[in-house]
Amino acid sequence: MFAKEQDEEAKKKYSSKVEAPIYEPKVKPRHVFECFDKSKTIKLIADIESSSVSDEEKIMLKEAAERHTIFNYETVADYYAHATPEMQSLMEDSALVIIDFDRAIELGYVQISQDLTAQYGEEYPDA
Amino acid sequence: MHDFAVFILSHGRPSKVITATTLKRQGYTGSIFIVVDNEDRHIDDYRKIYGDSVVVFDKKKMADSIDEGNNFDERGCIIHARNACFEIAKSIGVKYFMQLDDDYTSFRWRYADKYITKGNVWNLDKLFLLLLAFYKKTKCTSIAIAQGGDFISGEGCRLLNNYKNRARKCMNTFICSTDRPFQFVGQMNEDVNTYTTLATRGHLFLTLPYVGVEQKQTQSQSGGITDLYLKYGTYCKSFTSVMMSPSSVKVFMMGFKEQRLHHRVEWKTTTPQILSEKCKKL
Repeated sequence: MFAKEQDEEAKKKYSSKVEAPIYEPKVKPRHVFECFDKSKTIKLIADIESSSVSDEEKIMLKEAAERHTIFNYETVADYYAHATPEMQSLMEDSALVIIDFDRAIELGYVQISQDLTAQYGEEYPDA
Repeated sequence: MHDFAVFILSHGRPSKVITATTLKRQGYTGSIFIVVDNEDRHIDDYRKIYGDSVVVFDKKKMADSIDEGNNFDERGCIIHARNACFEIAKSIGVKYFMQLDDDYTSFRWRYADKYITKGNVWNLDKLFLLLLAFYKKTKCTSIAIAQGGDFISGEGCRLLNNYKNRARKCMNTFICSTDRPFQFVGQMNEDVNTYTTLATRGHLFLTLPYVGVEQKQTQSQSGGITDLYLKYGTYCKSFTSVMMSPSSVKVFMMGFKEQRLHHRVEWKTTTPQILSEKCKKL
């Protein structure tokens, strides 16, 4: 590969522009069951059910097994964007998404980026 | 910054609180407190050097009130001090504080509209004011600046490259508030345990990449948690985070010549995404 092409490839790969970590939901709607993977949890619960431990112990172990359910929060956010207002509200209550009210995070990043770039310029005017 | 103070968390090395010197050298003129525990044999030495700026907390009492994540009954670690800071801040009348380890050798510029490889920050007062303004505005549970290791691979490092998906960690330089209290969990790897477990419940932690701290290499300075890591290796450290967040933290072997176990956070299964308000239907 030629040097110029390599340089452009590197620029694409290492796009280091710092932007607020706001997620842009995908346009395609998701099925709600795509949001989580319960396979490990199901396996654990099956083992618990077939064991000889006490019923009280089974309750505790089954609660703990839920910790192995994997939520894909990107898919969850995609689902949220297409969900009903009631579902959205319940998802917010369960902290499945974080809403950037009044663009506080987004604008906060813009402000601090500008301010710190200015400070760096003051400290290193020749850089 | 009357409602802000820096807390330097230290244990057993009163003559090696490098961070205090670094802060002053790089333009911080605000309050500094050295936080030590009542099991430290060097309290008097700390007081000789730092006088009334030394704050002592009851370590056993704190240990009994938090989730240490093991039953080792060893308290040579930082989690107790981290948790004590909230009450210490209240007792000295500050609302906002920044927790720092005691071994920072410099605060370096890392990103200012472009990736930067050289140059110390010389006005830490201003930096901390700007960080505090961001923190107040965003309602984050805690924010931190970066650390040297975040920039391995230079401009292609994970923290900067694809920043949107990699910025939710929070380590070492926690900016906190007494009205946004939280509990650090797990004696070893307490920072990772905390930002992963709390993130899944909606707490927002962020690392801002503009400035990074440099510190003495892990396991190079004696005292504190270093001894615990030397004793147990990184096995217990890494698996504490897996135990705390089994659905999103894994372990892998890190390094080339001398491999060691390290944690890996699967971000998309750890942190709920931040969405614009426009996604919310009325």
